[in-house]
Amino acid sequence: MSAGTWGLAFAAAAGGIGTIAALVTVGPTRRWLVGILSGLSAAAGGATAILVLVGHGPVTVHLPQILPLAGVELNLDALGAVFVLAVAIVALPASIYGIGYTAHGLNRRSVQAMYPLFIVSLLLVPAAASVSTLLLLWEAMALTSLVLVAAEHRDRSEVREAAWWYGSMSHLSMIAILMALVVFAGHAPGETFEALRMSGRHLSSSTRSFVFVLSLVGFGTKAGVVPLHVWLPRAHPEAPSHVSALMSGAMVNLGIYGVLRVTWDLLGGGPIWWGITVLFVGVTSALFGILHALVARDLKRLLAYSTSENMGLILVAVGAAGIYSSSGNPMLAGVAITAALLHIVNHAAFKGLLFLGAGSVVAATGTRDLDRMGGLLARMPVTGAAFAVGSLAIMALPPFNGFVSEWLLLKSLVQGLPASSVAISVTMPIAVGAVALTGGLAAAAFAKAFGTGFLARPRSPQVEAAAEVGGTMQTGMVSLAVACLGLGLAPFALLDVLRRAGAALPSLWGGEPVRSVGVTLHTGGLTGSLSPLFIGGGLILLVVLIPVVLRLLGVAGRRRVAENWGSGRSLQTARMEYTATSFAEPLQRVFDDVLRPEFDLAVTHTAESRYYVEAVRYRVGIVDGFETHVYRPLIRVAKRWGEMSRWVQNGSIHRYLAYLFVALLIVLLVSQ
Amino acid sequence: MTDSALSQLLGLAIGTALVCAYVVLWRSRLISIVRAIAVQGAAVAVVALTLGLHEHSVEPVAAAVGVFALKAVIIPMLLARWIRQSEELREVDPLINIPASLLAGGLLTLFVYATARQVANLGSDSASRAVPAAIAIVMLGLLVMTIRRKAVTQVAGFLLLENGIALVAFLTTSGLPLLIELGGALDLLLVVLVLHVLAGRMVSAFGATDLNQLQELRD
Amino acid sequence: MTVPAAVGALIQVTLVIAVAPILTGLMRATRAKLEGRAGPSVVQPWRDIRKLLHKERIKPEYSGWVFLLAPRVLLASGLMVVVLVPLITTATALGGSGDLFAVVYLVLLGTVFLVLAGLDPGTAFGGMGASRAITVAALAEPAFLLAIFALSVRAGSSSLATIVDSVLAEPRSLASPGSLLALAAVSVVVLAESGRLPVDNPSTHLELTMIHESMVLEYAGPDLAVVELASQVRLTIFLGLIANLFAPWGIAVTTHPADLAIGTGVVVAKLALLGVVIATFEVFVAKMRLFRVPELLTAAFILAFLAITMSFFLT
Repeated sequence: MSAGTWGLAFAAAAGGIGTIAALVTVGPTRRWLVGILSGLSAAAGGATAILVLVGHGPVTVHLPQILPLAGVELNLDALGAVFVLAVAIVALPASIYGIGYTAHGLNRRSVQAMYPLFIVSLLLVPAAASVSTLLLLWEAMALTSLVLVAAEHRDRSEVREAAWWYGSMSHLSMIAILMALVVFAGHAPGETFEALRMSGRHLSSSTRSFVFVLSLVGFGTKAGVVPLHVWLPRAHPEAPSHVSALMSGAMVNLGIYGVLRVTWDLLGGGPIWWGITVLFVGVTSALFGILHALVARDLKRLLAYSTSENMGLILVAVGAAGIYSSSGNPMLAGVAITAALLHIVNHAAFKGLLFLGAGSVVAATGTRDLDRMGGLLARMPVTGAAFAVGSLAIMALPPFNGFVSEWLLLKSLVQGLPASSVAISVTMPIAVGAVALTGGLAAAAFAKAFGTGFLARPRSPQVEAAAEVGGTMQTGMVSLAVACLGLGLAPFALLDVLRRAGAALPSLWGGEPVRSVGVTLHTGGLTGSLSPLFIGGGLILLVVLIPVVLRLLGVAGRRRVAENWGSGRSLQTARMEYTATSFAEPLQRVFDDVLRPEFDLAVTHTAESRYYVEAVRYRVGIVDGFETHVYRPLIRVAKRWGEMSRWVQNGSIHRYLAYLFVALLIVLLVSQ
Repeated sequence: MTDSALSQLLGLAIGTALVCAYVVLWRSRLISIVRAIAVQGAAVAVVALTLGLHEHSVEPVAAAVGVFALKAVIIPMLLARWIRQSEELREVDPLINIPASLLAGGLLTLFVYATARQVANLGSDSASRAVPAAIAIVMLGLLVMTIRRKAVTQVAGFLLLENGIALVAFLTTSGLPLLIELGGALDLLLVVLVLHVLAGRMVSAFGATDLNQLQELRD
Repeated sequence: MTVPAAVGALIQVTLVIAVAPILTGLMRATRAKLEGRAGPSVVQPWRDIRKLLHKERIKPEYSGWVFLLAPRVLLASGLMVVVLVPLITTATALGGSGDLFAVVYLVLLGTVFLVLAGLDPGTAFGGMGASRAITVAALAEPAFLLAIFALSVRAGSSSLATIVDSVLAEPRSLASPGSLLALAAVSVVVLAESGRLPVDNPSTHLELTMIHESMVLEYAGPDLAVVELASQVRLTIFLGLIANLFAPWGIAVTTHPADLAIGTGVVVAKLALLGVVIATFEVFVAKMRLFRVPELLTAAFILAFLAITMSFFLT
């Protein structure tokens, strides 16, 4: 067995032992064992991925006897390795974080037993090399995550509702993927990916389009793209935070993996409308997601919508790559796909970090409501600093990692023009406009999340009593923060290995799109270059130098703590601060037509006279437009069908016998 | 003037006309809308003038003078006087808010470009390449008429439509016969005067020229 | 990074730090003269900074390290942009890797830190300024990025040096509608990002009308000096960008000392001219209502969008 095979086997074994440990042990022992074993599993998976990416060739495992009818086929190539690496980057810190986090009432047998299995399934899905293996692992991932989402269902009713939504949508996605892959495999000599790849190009174009659309629907649901995203803002907030980090940072990526693998690897790429569809789905997702993140009051809901937005950005890159390769521009397609893969890794890092930070906040204060938080930076310095790093990274600001992938994405879209093809001339300006707008709104959303959540003073007593979380939780967050900074200053190593991943998609690759020379990145043909190390390093150097220069100019060092000036106000309470809702209100007004907020104003007058007001109650709420206008009507229709069909089963034995009789008559008739 | 300078001037004039259409979408003060229409009329005149100089023929130049007189001077003056009389200064509450209408205009322009390319490829010179821009002005005029409520803005939308059509005519045929231009101009003047009288009646009936009030007229 | 390029970058940074307060002083003096006042002297901002440096250092009671770090990050991001942008010479550090997209994100970094610093002390006006500032920044950034897109379509790359070189090589391209629209869009964005009229009045004393000033209400002494200098540096960068992207004649293309001297003189003259033009414009225009500012910024976005699509219609 090669080193890679050992790695995968170790990962699976560590996960299995972790599950057994969870079932067998109790208390702190359980927490520590589950955390350490899951962490080892993630580390082994990550190491295997790195081995594949630096060129040790794909890792193949072939186990025909494990299941009846079809064996287990695993083949981890460079493309899958990128996704396994993204999983490992989140899973290792999240497992360590979970050691401390599950002490807050989540140390139940069911939760802790499912967690290692979840990680193992996340690690193995990108390695699946046959239809049955993929479906099996996909279902394992969905079921384990469902149990994990429903972890606190006894404590809160919202958790039950979230679990229902999540379970239904993940099974709808499973059905779509099943149909797509089964139809595909039906036209192929076998059900392994190798067989599918060979026959992919020879299918009729209607079959290929059918497979493309269904796999986009199925995998897109898992990725949380609009309009199939409604489970995301419900499930991610209610799940335990280290599980939310894994779901947002690792699991949604696998939806993108599915789209890439089925459409551009197995089917071998397609006509230009495929790329255009994916790009427009991405644009809609990005804009819708960030708008709802901007106006969200619940911290984890904000992060969940932001995940939808980032997946939209990645799909914009993938769609652009498809459009470029169908228009005969493989170099730009390569730049776009590199941007997509880099953003996947970066998103895993900073979204995982943000969710772990949010989890610390929830554990310390008991609330997710940003309007009630405040002043947490003074009470939880490590969590606050880590959340600040995550926020700066997701806003794509130097010196952190979001900056590099956003730059690469913009470059790939901008270099497309001037072009002779009308598809590119029409889609690229829209795509750049959408990416630019989401960038601005993301800055606003995360300035709101960090600013109103952590700065100023606490706006409720439970937040005032918050204290910093334990050591393992801090370790998890700090390690991801360091990763964000490292990936931001020195993404070169990663880019070199992403080249191998991109080359695994020959229908989207050409030439050497992104090179790193020393400390500088160059995009294809030296049309653009960026030096993240120079910019980030220069920034940090200047920030350190400025106080030194001030000291040299004779400025005194010590500061006196003084009252706020506050424009001459002498009494300042925490109620006078800007809350999260008021912070985002001017921007919300601009997008009123899209968000359609619901206002409710109730004025109570005094008993004595209608001219005096005793109390005013103002409520504003923003609901997800797709939920109210698309999903709820569909659910109502489904319910009505269900009720109408009740008369079919009314309990009378005679009626059932009559059905049997009629069915037999029909069979006799048809078999004539 | 050299050929390339003329085509640059043509490009600038078309660009100005298109930007004026967006200014009508953007501004809510009625007087600013009227000024934008005036500038656009001047731009249409410049286009006619450029084409006339390029072809060394006198008809487009005469048409340019007439267009300038009518669309950049007379009609804006009438509209300005109308605004002063009706004492309405601003457009209120369009059907979709202004940033959304600007974005809709942008997408509309892209759509026109994507679908009207065949027309642009009919001729080989820069004048026919600019026809989709003129068609975009027509569509923007229709957009303004659909989403705005005050009578003056409706007239402004209609004038955008007119200017767009005139531009398409100039760019594709480099000038209609002078008689047809004259007839079109008189039609335009008549329309503006009729709408002025209608708006006056609306003001005396409802107190404002909000077009939504016309719904009250049904039985 | 070669030694001559490092020297060029150092000269640029020193020049900008020296000139930025004087540029602000020039704009204030112009405005005063046009309004019929005697006005302060042109070097008054430097005197203000010197005065502030010797005042007491203060930390408001409920603020934290974000409040203390923000002035440094604001100034550092501004100086980093100066290193990247070709003001005096196109042969800046890293031989042409100064990318306009990087400039946008560096500017945004400074803005975000200032917004957070407005929220940190927990005052009502600080929060108000922060909320308004992030609205303006969130809507101005897309317009800026699209305008860069328009410029880079023409030049073939979003690298600053390439754009400047392409304009120098073909001056006629400046008169095309696309370039003019991009100029209009960039001008609106510059006015919005640097807090000038009609978006924000830099000399107002009424807190309810402030955007930028209310975020820095709690700063005093040396911190305020750093914030003031950083704002002046940002204004200088923006004006320098407009000058050199749309009128780059006179810029040095090598690091030869004579070229550098000419480049310095030319850029100072261009900055002075632009400053006077903007100050004059400010005298005649009134501040817009806050809720009309998004309309203005969306119009700038559409202008930039048109700048891109215009090239499809007329080539």
